Parts: sequence; structure tokens; C-alpha cells
Amino acid sequence: MRRVLLTAALLALSAGCNKSSEEKPGPTLDGQLEPVANPHQPGDFDPLPDPEEQGGSVGRAPRRLTVSQLDAAILEAVGRRWVNGGDGIDARASSLGRADFALVSSENTEPNLVFAKFLEDGARFVCIAQAADEVKQADASKRTLSRTLPGTWDDLRKLTDAQVREFLVYNSLRFWGAPLEGEELTKWAGFFTQASARAETAKRRADALAVTCIAMLTDSRFITY
Amino acid sequence: MKKNRLDENHRPERRTFLKAAAGFMGSTLLGGLPFRSFAQAASLAPADRCFVFVYFNGGWDQLLAFDPKDPDEFTADRAAETRILPGYNLINDARFSAIPLRPEKSGVGRSNIDFGPAVGKLSEHFDLMTVVRGINMNTLGHEVGYRYFLTGKMPIGSAARGSSTATEIVGQMKPRVPISNIAFNVESYNDRYPGYANALRVSRKDDLLLTLKPSSQMLDSEIEKQLVDFRGQPITCEEAAYGARGVGTTYQNSRDQMQQVMAQKLEESFKFELNTPEMAAVRAAYGLDQSGRYDTEAGRAAMVGTALKRGIAQCLTINLTGGLDTHFGTQLTHANNQRRGFDALASLVADLRASGHPSGGTFMDHTTIMVFSEFSRTPLINSAGGRDHHISNSCMLMGAGVKHNYVFGKSGDIGMSPGTFDLRTGALDPRGENIFPEHIIATVLASAGLDYSITRVNPLRPILA
Repeated sequence: MRRVLLTAALLALSAGCNKSSEEKPGPTLDGQLEPVANPHQPGDFDPLPDPEEQGGSVGRAPRRLTVSQLDAAILEAVGRRWVNGGDGIDARASSLGRADFALVSSENTEPNLVFAKFLEDGARFVCIAQAADEVKQADASKRTLSRTLPGTWDDLRKLTDAQVREFLVYNSLRFWGAPLEGEELTKWAGFFTQASARAETAKRRADALAVTCIAMLTDSRFITY
Repeated sequence: MKKNRLDENHRPERRTFLKAAAGFMGSTLLGGLPFRSFAQAASLAPADRCFVFVYFNGGWDQLLAFDPKDPDEFTADRAAETRILPGYNLINDARFSAIPLRPEKSGVGRSNIDFGPAVGKLSEHFDLMTVVRGINMNTLGHEVGYRYFLTGKMPIGSAARGSSTATEIVGQMKPRVPISNIAFNVESYNDRYPGYANALRVSRKDDLLLTLKPSSQMLDSEIEKQLVDFRGQPITCEEAAYGARGVGTTYQNSRDQMQQVMAQKLEESFKFELNTPEMAAVRAAYGLDQSGRYDTEAGRAAMVGTALKRGIAQCLTINLTGGLDTHFGTQLTHANNQRRGFDALASLVADLRASGHPSGGTFMDHTTIMVFSEFSRTPLINSAGGRDHHISNSCMLMGAGVKHNYVFGKSGDIGMSPGTFDLRTGALDPRGENIFPEHIIATVLASAGLDYSITRVNPLRPILA
């Protein structure tokens, strides 16, 4: 009796195996992609958090740039390093949060008062210097901030609204990696136009470019990632 | 869309709320001032509890400072037996007493504390002091000694362990002052607190001014106003998405705080050379001239006093004076170097005693001062006329949270060796324990009701007020 039962069980098992092999899809047709099974199963990963519970945002919280990242980002966005004789980002690195691994063992990336103040100092130095250089540069391809402006730009009040918006979208991409658009673009355009008008009156043309650069460089989108 | 500011480091107080409410009501009644204007109207307030850590650099001669010995008892003839030679008669300067100081004050009586001749006029503030003697430093190395005293933890090799005491205090108290922790020409460590507890390390007064003064490069004044107005406009959804959590909010708060600091022109408070009645009073209080060169003990003390009184900082650690590592030379050289530090400290204490704190009482009622050096100098004079490194030490605590006119501990009468005590009472006990720097740090933390468990010892309870 036991042998009969064992034989019946083996037959049932072999039939099960045959059944699964029968369900295997046949060879793919020409041009048909090989189906790939989803490697993830429910429970393999944590679902993204509910945006409603996180103030409307998804994913990790933004982080502040480290001092090295900030140095590289300023160079990339503005086209020059923040170095002013013995002063500059290197001289103020420890106050900005850089670890020396002797007394301070981890980089401080908190955007505290000292960081905000020193970033303001740095933004003013690089932006004012860069704007002053770009006023004199007739070749647009050699400029950084004003690359979209006409070859020899003089009175910025003469720029059309489309040119102003192009300039702002270009620079917001440079500084933040995200273009200005919609209502915010209109707000920035108004700011730039207002600054341009005053710059002409005060005969300080480069200030219009510099103030836009300072505002973008000290925006939280520039210092976070 | 105006975002809600939710900064975990920001703890509004009732006073702030009332100011804000008053400002809001005022702006409503007066036709609507810009929100930013009223926010900036709230002025800085000093911290309710402040700390000053004063470091005498180089290893002081405690016979000249807080552990003097009677020269009539410890004579040159007995030096071979006692291994102690005060040497006060070798100073040969009328400014220094030939015997320990024991001042008297009307209404208080005579001091319970003896002071060495170098302490000078600081001794007149004995009624606020506790002196701890017979501390075992366990080291004769400069770096190890001062790092031990700064942290209350014995360094590993010469590398500091743990956080500076000032960082520990700020980390626990989270004060609402612009620059909570300033380390003036001295090391500072942070091993477990977020960045807000980090010290702003400055080597000169000018470094501090760099933080407080407006940027040197300015745009056209009208464009500057446009920039301020633009930054003050309600932010967009795009900006809000980046600043919704953590860093964006903190950055925005820091920028607002920066505007507040700049608006108050706090750097003007440190321009002691200015020809104003306020600065004339500071110069008179600290004995400063009008040269503008204040990288001196008195200048540093004036900076500390100003930072506390103007509500700029809560904890200041300062390397007040140096030149104390006198292996060679005369007793007068060392006494002079100490005296400059003690005179400056006396001016600071007098200033804080004379200045009212907004919460009531004087600033000294709200301030604890700890004065220390990395170790002391040998009680015997070496063949070169100087003194070498000695393992026993003393320190002084004064002000809020500690007992006044009090001495805890004692150095030995032979070779000024570290003593053993019953730390619960302060009584000499041959089977007792040594006093170590961690006991002092635990006491400082306990004096403000802070967690002292990082020191792994109990505070010296008899010292606590």
C-alpha cells in the first residue's frame, strides 16, 4: 500500500513540473522584446512617503552645499572663484563649516547666521567683479552671466521683455539647474527691469547685472541640492 | 504664498510673542507697516545665563595666582624640606605685594581666599569667587593640559576628546543669540551637537567684526533697497518646495537674523576708538586708549564684556593672556604677564557688576566665569631663574551658580602636590580622591542645571550655590 501511495505522489509531482514547463512562453517573435519579470515584489522596498505628510514634498530633505561644493558651484555659475587677496572662501572655510579633521571632525552644513553673512559677502564680491568685467566684454560668447544679451549691451532698459525673460531663464538654469517660469519669472523680470532703470539713472550699469547675480546666488535653491 | 517658519532650532519665547503681537497690532492700527519692518524691530536680548572661560596660556605660576604660600613659613632655608619657594621677594617691584593678598570689603568682611601678588585688583571681587586648589592635571604637556580643561575629558594622546564645555553648554541650552559660542584665539571642539553649537573661532577682534559689519562691497543705494524689498516679498510655491523642510527654513531664518544684526550696527559696539560718550565709557572701564589697536588683554576683555552685554553671544572662551611658559628669566616677567590678564579680568568683572541685566540684577548675577591654565609651574625655582611644569593646579570660578568667597581643596605643603579629598565635603582625606578637571567641568555644568553625565563624575557639590 505504501509503495502505491509513494508512486502516486511521484506521478503527481512530475505532472506538476510538466505543467509549469508547459506555461513557459514560447520563443519571441522577430522584433519582440524579451519580457522581463518585475524583480521587485511588494514588501521589498519602502514606498515613498505620502507628500501630504511632508509639506507637499517627496523624497529626502534638501541639504546645504559643503564648502568645497559651494566653491565649485560659485565658479561654475558666476565664472570666478571667491578669492579676494587674503580673504575669500578659503580664508573663511572653517567658519563656513569645513572640517579640519583635527579639531572639527565633520563638515557643518547648517546654514547658520555666519554662513548667511559670509555667503552674502562672497556673492557681492564675485557678482560685482564679474558684472564689471562683463560690461566691458563685447563678445557674448566670452561672457558668463550676460551671454544671452546682445553683443555690446548698453542701456538695459532697451531690452525687450522676451530678452529679459531669456536672460533670467538662462541664469536661473546656471545657478539653480531649474528655469524660472510662470508667476515667479514675472516677479524676477520686474525686479531686473526696476534695477536696470535705476542703474542707468545712477550711471552704474553693471549693478543691474550684479544684483540679479547676488539675488540668485543667495537664494536657497543655490545652496541646496 | 508666505511659508510658515518651522525651524527646529528656533524656540519662540513669551517675550518674543508679545513683541510680535504688539508689533502686529501697531502695524494694523498705523496703516500696515511691512511685516519685515516689525520683525526687525525686535532687538537682541542677552542670554539669561552666560559663561566666560578664561584661559591663561602657557601654564601659570599658581603661587602668584590662586594658590599662594606664606613666605614667612615657606622660606628659602626650608626649601629643601618643603620643596616650595614662593619667591615673592624676588619680584622686586612695588606693584606686587611681598605677601599674599587677603582683601577686605565693607559689608562682606575679610576674604576667605588668599591670593598671589599677581592677582592684584581682581582679588577685590573675592566676594563672588570660589577657588579650587590641589587639582591633579595628570599631564605636563601644554596641549594635553588645556584640551583637558577645555573639555573635561583627558585627551587621547594629545588629541582632544569630546566637545568643548562651551559647545556642550550651547548644545544643551540652544540660546537665541546671534553667535551663541565664540572661541577667541583658542581651540573649540564639537563631537555630538548640530552646527548651531559650533563656536565661531576668531583670532582677533577684527574677525568678529567681519561677521557683524555689513559687506564692504555695496551696490547703488537705491538698488540695495530694491534687493531688500525683493527678498522680503512673499515667496513662490517653487521656492517653498525647496525650503519646506529643514535647511531652507533655517537659511531663511539665518538671513533674517543677519538682517537684524546688520540693522543694529553691532560692529559699532566694538569700535572702542570712536569719539562717543558710550565708547569713552568703555575705554575708561577697561583702561583703553583711543589708538584703535586693541589686541591686548584689556581690549579682549572689553570685547567679551560688549558681546555679553549687547546680547551677541552666550558663551565666550578666550585666550586672555600668554607668555607664561617661563622656564627662564625672572619672577617679575611671569608676574607681569599674569598681572595684565588679571587686571583685564578685573575690569570685565567690574563692568559686568555695574551693568544691569534685562532680567533683573547685574550681568555678574547671570554670568559664570571660569579661569584656568593648563597646569602650574614648579614650586621651586630652577637654575635658570624660571619655573618648569608642575602637575598640581588650581582654578577659579566666579559669578552665577557657584558659592562665593569659598575655597575648595588644598595643595600639599610639601612640593604642592595634588591632594586627596572627600569630594562630597571638600575635607582632606588620605583615602579620598583627587580633584580632576572633569570635576570642575561637571560643577560648571551642574551650576546651570545642565546634564553633566558626559564628564562621568559628580560635580563638587559644596561649590554649588
